[in-house]
Amino acid sequence: MVKVTINGKEVEVESGTTILHAAEKAGFPIPTFCYNPRMDPAGSCRICAVELEDSKRTVMGCITAVSDGMKVLTESAKVHDARKTNLELLLLHHPMDCPVCDCGGECPLQNMSFSYGASDSRFESHRNDEPEDMKSDVLVFNSNRCILCGKCVRICDEIQDVHAIGFINRGFDTIIGPPLGKKLDCEFCGDCLEVCPTGAITDRFVRYQFRPWQMEKTETTCTACGSGCRMLVDTESEAIVRISSKEGLGPNEGSICVVGRFGFNYVQNKERLDKVYFKKAQRLVPGKWPEIMPKIADRLKGIVAGGSGRVAGLLSSRVPLEDAFLFQRFIRQTLRSNFIDSGARRGLMNMALPLAQATGTLRPLVDHKDIEAANVIVVLGGDPAAESNITGLAIKKAVRKNKADLYLVHGHDVSISTRSKEVIRALPGAEADFVRILRKALASGGTLDIAAKDGLVRMGASPEGVERLISDLKAAKRVVFVTGRRFHDSETGLEASEELVRLLVDQGWISSEGCGLFPLTELGNDMGVLMMGGTSEWLPGLLDVSNAENRKVWETHWGTSLEVSGGGIREILSGIESGKIKALITLGENPFEYIPDAGHLRETLSKLELLVVIDHRQSEIADIAHFLLPSATAFERGGHVVSAEGFVQPIVPSMAYWGESLPEAEIILQLSRQMGSSLPFEDFSAITAEIFRIFPDLSPSTRNASHFQGGTGEIVLALTKAQPPHKAHRESVVARVGEWMKSSPSASTDPAAILPIPEEGFVLQLSKSINHSGTFTIHDASLMTIEGEGLLRVPRQWARKRKLKKGSCVRVRSAHGDVSLPIDPVAGLSDREVHFPVHFADERIQALFGKGFSWNSRSGVPSSQSITVTLEPVL
Amino acid sequence: MANTEHGVSIEINEEEIDQICEEFGNREGAVVQILQTIQEKYGYVPAEVLERVGEDLGIPHSKMFGVLTFYSQFYQEPRGKFILKVCVGTACHVRGAGLLVDKIKENLHIEAGENTEDMLFTLEPVACLGSCALAPMAMVNGNTYGKLSADKMVELINQFQEEGSGSDEEPVPAS
Repeated sequence: MVKVTINGKEVEVESGTTILHAAEKAGFPIPTFCYNPRMDPAGSCRICAVELEDSKRTVMGCITAVSDGMKVLTESAKVHDARKTNLELLLLHHPMDCPVCDCGGECPLQNMSFSYGASDSRFESHRNDEPEDMKSDVLVFNSNRCILCGKCVRICDEIQDVHAIGFINRGFDTIIGPPLGKKLDCEFCGDCLEVCPTGAITDRFVRYQFRPWQMEKTETTCTACGSGCRMLVDTESEAIVRISSKEGLGPNEGSICVVGRFGFNYVQNKERLDKVYFKKAQRLVPGKWPEIMPKIADRLKGIVAGGSGRVAGLLSSRVPLEDAFLFQRFIRQTLRSNFIDSGARRGLMNMALPLAQATGTLRPLVDHKDIEAANVIVVLGGDPAAESNITGLAIKKAVRKNKADLYLVHGHDVSISTRSKEVIRALPGAEADFVRILRKALASGGTLDIAAKDGLVRMGASPEGVERLISDLKAAKRVVFVTGRRFHDSETGLEASEELVRLLVDQGWISSEGCGLFPLTELGNDMGVLMMGGTSEWLPGLLDVSNAENRKVWETHWGTSLEVSGGGIREILSGIESGKIKALITLGENPFEYIPDAGHLRETLSKLELLVVIDHRQSEIADIAHFLLPSATAFERGGHVVSAEGFVQPIVPSMAYWGESLPEAEIILQLSRQMGSSLPFEDFSAITAEIFRIFPDLSPSTRNASHFQGGTGEIVLALTKAQPPHKAHRESVVARVGEWMKSSPSASTDPAAILPIPEEGFVLQLSKSINHSGTFTIHDASLMTIEGEGLLRVPRQWARKRKLKKGSCVRVRSAHGDVSLPIDPVAGLSDREVHFPVHFADERIQALFGKGFSWNSRSGVPSSQSITVTLEPVL
Repeated sequence: MANTEHGVSIEINEEEIDQICEEFGNREGAVVQILQTIQEKYGYVPAEVLERVGEDLGIPHSKMFGVLTFYSQFYQEPRGKFILKVCVGTACHVRGAGLLVDKIKENLHIEAGENTEDMLFTLEPVACLGSCALAPMAMVNGNTYGKLSADKMVELINQFQEEGSGSDEEPVPAS
């Protein structure tokens, strides 16, 4: 610790602290342009000049470390002069076009000039008058306004690790942009736009459409994926203009991905559902809430009167805790059924089942900070950057800053491949076998026996790569496993997850701080919906429904008896098929997205006496509904969601309900009242209160805002209120896990589950794109500008040989059908695989997969689809 | 891989690029030397080569482009076989360097920095070349030609033109 005096006030700080931080601690914030707490200081803008009292020298606050006894003046006349002169130099070329600049009004350069009175420059120079770079559809680069602080380049390098832009030329001619004068081609996170302290980078989607001071900012949580990003929704007259962020905000610390930042237009899309519809003569016609609700209630009452288990509910895992809690209680109590399921089954159930049984919680043992500090990170079957973008950033940071060894075990290359020490290819379906081999080798001192090597070769993995992984794992102190969509959705996903938990227990990684397992959650509230009892196997609180004592807890609380028999989507579909289930209520969930053979599914669903679809948009299931009820989106309603890190964060409405739409919970409450049911909730806030009362550990929490100063010079206050821990309680997990190990022996899986590599042709798989989330984003104009059609990703080497370019068409033929698709040749695919973005997988694509469909026999999770196809160029 | 962007076709051999990088141990710090070596070979640094070098050295493409554009010694476009570097520094200026430049422009129909259509010449006025005693002077592909006049310049150009269409041998520098 060293003592420094800032403006006469003495403070004690760690040695090595910069003057900027010390002054902040003493209560004297220093202005900055190029400084950003998450990045290495650059000291390029010179605005943080401070005076050293003894030597009378001015030094830069952001790059100068304090020394013992240092006396610093942050507001002396000399400092003032220095800053003013530096401002004049920054304004040398800067055009005074603030009236037509989107940044005007929230521009740090403008504000600083105002503070220091440097509205113009004494130095004579020509104003730059270069045309703006309008090549990108997303961002506009205006080099005239640029002060070359380099924040955009650094955030792209240091935080995003994308390196899309750089400094070009030298001296006065220096500009910032993508290489070779080409169109910007990147992940479009927009972080550069966010950190730019001038109007040099502006958002093309909303160019000239707003003035910052006329907008209202609402801080909310993004529900697109499980990262749980906190973001600001900027609205004008209740219409969303843009989404922005603030340095240090939330678990994402100010970064947002392309979907979060640009994917909001679907909520104000004219095609969105704004009315209640009901089926009349085979057509959906508009109706009114007061007329429709009693009709639905009557029909439900009639069906329930016939006995229990006759109604099923499907629920999206993007809905908040409150809606999930209410919906499952409505299904279980009012409709007397345990046929309930949610999208979280697909995304997480195979992992959630063993986690809940073994550790008693779904909360992860590690969070992003642990990932950043890990020595070895093993990503199993996933694409973190696309599935849960901010987790991807944590992984990249671990590699870049802390030199972590990253291993990717996956069927094909993804964007983090280039950062990984080794990509171990393991074919889809081989996950469980892979983990079993790894576990056995680690347990036996780290050697692969012949059978293990054979197994690895059969699944397409390199034994040498696995040997390197093993030796790194043995040497590492902090080990984190990250599992993704492909791992969770694989046919052997449950067995693979169980084996992985056992491996962690074996190696003591369950009990050592900093080690653990981090499942990526692809949707905004996967974990929360499971915690609230959104699937058939669990009552709220992850209580196993088959256990009578567990049921007793809720039966007493709700004053009702609970059904045991029931099931998830597999049982629901067979129940409908057999005629036992007469009614289905879907809440934002559309099984057509993941059950192939739409014709057969449509036929099954047509057997329903009543199909109530609650959604905010038209879809395949909405088209066949008897009643189609419009729901409000996360931008219009409140609630809480649980992130992959375990943070429970609020979503806050920023606009009025669209048309006649209502929040899902409101619709369910109305319906239950119409049915004369006794759900004791006055309104939405009563549900929130009940959840937080019953589950005190679910009280809101977010990442501690330890970053005190934002990119705009605004102070971001540290949270003062104590928060409940977001991670799993390690001691409780350790105390419990041994019992599970004993009761759950390793089950063997059929290695035949591995789809054999075809000698000719390709394995077609559906995978997630970074630019889209589910299917709602294909209704979003901005995201469709960025990625507007489904391109079949084919191996670059294959396309080159046939002189095919991006956009060329090929005919894709499977045993079940054929379709013509445009291609995108990409590097990193093996010779025998092609991918299609799942978001664009409409009926034509689904038809390729035929009727064949597999469920994990124990967890009932529909496995992700893959099939052998042939490709033929279309001339 | 063929580069036809500028009307000339240059075959770029990726293995050759890899080899050059290898010679410098694929070191990030040798990037300028590597680019120099490549420029010597091709006369400029083609875009595809830049990307390949970046991949070999583990430097992002955006950073490679930053290096390329930072130094004025690197060229992104093909240049003529003969680079006419005409000194327009003070000494040469007072002794009529402007006339030399004008003559070249008139004769070859190019502006400063441009190539002739046959890719034989590139006109490049430069500041002082440090041989003021020879003013006005010019430098062509590393050889110095002093005490020039507009007429001598025309002669020189004609000479190069013959050379260019014929053998690769360069004219003997004037002493």
